[in-house]
Amino acid sequence: MTAISFILALVGFGLVAPIIGCLLAGLDRKITARLQGRVGPPLLQPYYDVRKLLAKENVSVNRFQDFYIAMSLFLAILAGVMFFAGGNFLLVVFLITLSTLFLIVAAYSSRSPFAEIGAEREIIQVMSYEPLVILMTIAYFLAVRTFDVGAVFGLSQPIIVSLPLVFIAFLFVLTIKLRKSPFDLSYSHHAHQELVKGITTEMSGKTLAMVEVTHWYENVLFMSWVGLFFVWGSWIGILVAVIVALTIYFLEILIDSNFARVKWQAMLKWSWLVTLVFCTINIVVLIMVS
Amino acid sequence: MATIGLLVVLPLIAAAALFFIKKDSLRTPVVIGFAALIMLACVWLAIGHLTGTMEFYPLKSQLITYATLVIDVILGVYVFVKGIKHGVPFASVLAGIQTAIVVVFELTVAHGVNIDNDIYVDSLSVMMAMIIGFVGSGICIYALGYMRVFQEQHKDQPDRRHIFFSIFFLFLSAMFALVFSNNLAWLFCAWEVTTVCSFVLIGYTRTEEAIQNSFRQIVMNMLCGLAFAIALVYLGAAGILELDKLINLGAIGLAAFPIALLAFAGLTKAAQIPFQSWLLGAMVAPTPTSALLHSSTMVKAGVFLLAKLSPAFGWNFNGMMVMLIGGLTFLICAFIAISQSNAKRVLAYSTVSNLGLICACAGVGTPEAMWAAIFLLIFHAVAKSLLFLCVGTAEHHIGSRDIEAMDNLFVRMPTIARFMALGMLTMFIAPFGMLVSKWATIVSIADTGNIVLMLILAFGSAATFMFWAKWLGKVLAVAQHSADLEKGVSKSEWFAIGLMAFMVLFCSVAFPFISESVVVPYLAQFEQFVFPGLLPAWQTISATLGFDNLLIMAIIVLAILASFAVFFGRSKKRIVPIYMAGVGVDSEKRSYRNSLSGVSESSQRNWYLEDWFGEKALLPISNIMGIVVLVVGIALAYINLGGGALL
Amino acid sequence: MSSTIKSPWIIHYDASSCNGCDIEVLACLTPLYDVERFGIINTGNPKHADILLVTGSVNERNISVLQQIYEQMIEPKVVIACGICATTGGIFKECYNTLGGVDKAVPVDVYAPGCAVRPEAIIDAVVIGLSILEQKRVALAQGKLVSETTAECVTAADKIVDGQTVRAAALKITKG
Repeated sequence: MTAISFILALVGFGLVAPIIGCLLAGLDRKITARLQGRVGPPLLQPYYDVRKLLAKENVSVNRFQDFYIAMSLFLAILAGVMFFAGGNFLLVVFLITLSTLFLIVAAYSSRSPFAEIGAEREIIQVMSYEPLVILMTIAYFLAVRTFDVGAVFGLSQPIIVSLPLVFIAFLFVLTIKLRKSPFDLSYSHHAHQELVKGITTEMSGKTLAMVEVTHWYENVLFMSWVGLFFVWGSWIGILVAVIVALTIYFLEILIDSNFARVKWQAMLKWSWLVTLVFCTINIVVLIMVS
Repeated sequence: MATIGLLVVLPLIAAAALFFIKKDSLRTPVVIGFAALIMLACVWLAIGHLTGTMEFYPLKSQLITYATLVIDVILGVYVFVKGIKHGVPFASVLAGIQTAIVVVFELTVAHGVNIDNDIYVDSLSVMMAMIIGFVGSGICIYALGYMRVFQEQHKDQPDRRHIFFSIFFLFLSAMFALVFSNNLAWLFCAWEVTTVCSFVLIGYTRTEEAIQNSFRQIVMNMLCGLAFAIALVYLGAAGILELDKLINLGAIGLAAFPIALLAFAGLTKAAQIPFQSWLLGAMVAPTPTSALLHSSTMVKAGVFLLAKLSPAFGWNFNGMMVMLIGGLTFLICAFIAISQSNAKRVLAYSTVSNLGLICACAGVGTPEAMWAAIFLLIFHAVAKSLLFLCVGTAEHHIGSRDIEAMDNLFVRMPTIARFMALGMLTMFIAPFGMLVSKWATIVSIADTGNIVLMLILAFGSAATFMFWAKWLGKVLAVAQHSADLEKGVSKSEWFAIGLMAFMVLFCSVAFPFISESVVVPYLAQFEQFVFPGLLPAWQTISATLGFDNLLIMAIIVLAILASFAVFFGRSKKRIVPIYMAGVGVDSEKRSYRNSLSGVSESSQRNWYLEDWFGEKALLPISNIMGIVVLVVGIALAYINLGGGALL
Repeated sequence: MSSTIKSPWIIHYDASSCNGCDIEVLACLTPLYDVERFGIINTGNPKHADILLVTGSVNERNISVLQQIYEQMIEPKVVIACGICATTGGIFKECYNTLGGVDKAVPVDVYAPGCAVRPEAIIDAVVIGLSILEQKRVALAQGKLVSETTAECVTAADKIVDGQTVRAAALKITKG
């Protein structure tokens, strides 16, 4: 990672990612509506939502929450910039975890019972996907012999060839990371009765707008992780990666629309089990081969 | 050389003086004075030796050797008598056997062994000395204020604070001796002094529970002392009684068994599974004791020994044993910490868990692993002492050490809560200290292709996130109008907490430079890393970790701190009550109008997942696994299989 | 056209409805009416919502709840009374425990009468509510919005004209 690539990524990711993230979110709602036999909102609906939120009155439950959320947004952007500048993959993972921690702390700071349940569930979600994310970076290292993301462009074949099972396990927890049903425990669009709005219950106006934008950035970053598996030293790789990422995104929407939420026990058990089995087999084979 | 002597003697004088000082007014200046002197001596030592190569000093003092023998005997007799008095004959038996072995050994075998260098100093021992000097003395100062309140709250008990402070400084002296001794007999003596010191400190309150727990500690640590003594006998017979020679020999052939015993001793002292219960039991002691045991002394002696032996570990049975025990402890204790609501027990399990990671790193024995072990050790020492001191002070002012009672500490004790949050962040989240070290751990195990440790690290880290994040959340919860309970906190406590917080920040920001100028050169001097085919230490670390990445981390730390300083709490938004389904009454109390038109308070407890991660669910099986690994490891070393590399 | 009227998020409160109107509110979300076409989302959280849909009449028991939910909504905000009970109290108006329509508790912007109120009427009311919402947003941006409080809510059963959906008579938006 050089200073130039960092600046390019800063401008590129910083400006383009929210646009793509917004369109992805819009597409999500549109497709979901179609799957349910509805027309659905306009494609730019997420943009309208954020604009609307920015126009709301400035209120908060305390003087600290919006700072935490701003930090969360800042770190999510930083993680994405690091990733697209070809930086260290582990660093990216750590930064995005820190971003999530700030979101959790923001929810806790409100002392709202609903937000606290949401925060608690968010922690469980992190605990569910974190092992896979760490193992994925290790597997990446074993396949590429460096943690630098930029190194994929020097490969003769994409890493999906050596890490197929890790990829499948990643898809499993991607559902948690994208906050999709059946794992949308902490912040669900469908849980008014029990959770109100979970982790974001006490966030409103500009603060909530920041949460939404953070999700845009995060989603783009996570979809690029999907793409990372399919890139190699050829321009076709990028094309393949984009197509696969879009396909996977559609798959996630399909899953979201077809599954009811599960309890946290099921989420924890299944994600750990999938991680354990798939990653162990894949990594052991990888070590044996090399 | 003289500075080392000073570091051992200064606390000894302080200990002797404090034993006779029973007045608070006199004790305060003495403690502060000696603490300052010790810190100064540490700085002086660091200026001379922090970045230098290993230096040895042939003391060849028969006087000291006899003195250590006398100390060993006194300690043995002390434990023997205590054991008889309190009806724990097992402790007495262990003390008896151990003392007998040492006395016979010293008077017969050891006499014939030529010892070239009694004392040494290298970067690692200087760093340890810095930790002991700054964190340890800082805790002594903290104890001044803390113990005053403690005594006021326990008026029924006689004032035995002079013993308390005396033992504290004795402890520091023994730790200094421990980190600079190259002569294994001297090392053993210092080792035993720390064991007995913590025995006295744990039993300080003299309640039934305290005495029971102090005996659990002494039995387990006498066991490790016994292993150490047997290792001495073996090594004495082979004519090696120096640490550096032993390490150079590696875990090959002859040295395999004694090194296995020493590793066992280190693991026990570091409270690894199946011996973690003594450190948990030590939580009954006043908080400064816990802070001292956890951060700079006692358990650190265990991991220090393992870190020293690390070049001898690696892909052999000894290395495997240490690695597996460490890994198992890291994983299981991180899980169990989720189920604990008592703050001090969470801290204790977190300590054991982190020490497990350090042990595992030491067991892996590659340069990156050692790099990680050293930084884990440093960051753990400063962050954990900060946390203990904060919890201790908070406990005195909110009357509970339960995490649930720390809800809204952010407003009730603003400064303490912020420092506590700093300590927690340093413990579990990048870009702060511990996680950077964990990063190096990941690199090192990815390098060695150790799938077991990979899995352990991945799942253990996830559990670590859970138990810290939910505690952090509770502490940072905000109810605007709560009484400020921070008024009564004494100056000595503020000073110590401030010192620890400063060190945490300093280490977090300065660690790329510490790494480049101290730790990497230290590792570069080892050539005997067992794992073959590696680049020299400094090259691999620079290649995989990258100075620029470390720098990025440090910059992010600075950026986060700066934004906290500038923007935190400056929001001008209108403050509104929380949503309580339309029936809220008081937002601060989270009270609401219930179905009978009365007022109820809602409460929200953290999740502890007892069924999944409780002690009952996990401890029995993990203890058995730990025992099996230890027995098999030592047995394999005994039948001398440890010599051949596994592949 | 600002984004505010493209993204009205709704919170639905059932004061003491017979559930007839509630079913109709939910019917709006179904594929047949699909109000998400207009960006409408049914949230369960007053802090996220722009429009408060109330069904049923107000009584001694729920008036404080309704008022608190209203107060916790963040400006700009609009209240729509759905159904005749919410508008005037309906057939329960004379009951010993009934206070009357929603406007006994909170300031209402749009009335959508009917028993039960038809989904078309609800959508119509929301669309009218949106123009009020937009006016309030502009007023807020100019610093001229006077937040209506529950204390000064109008007692305005006379504003209903022939069972038609109509706007509340006086919009207290601008200062002076």
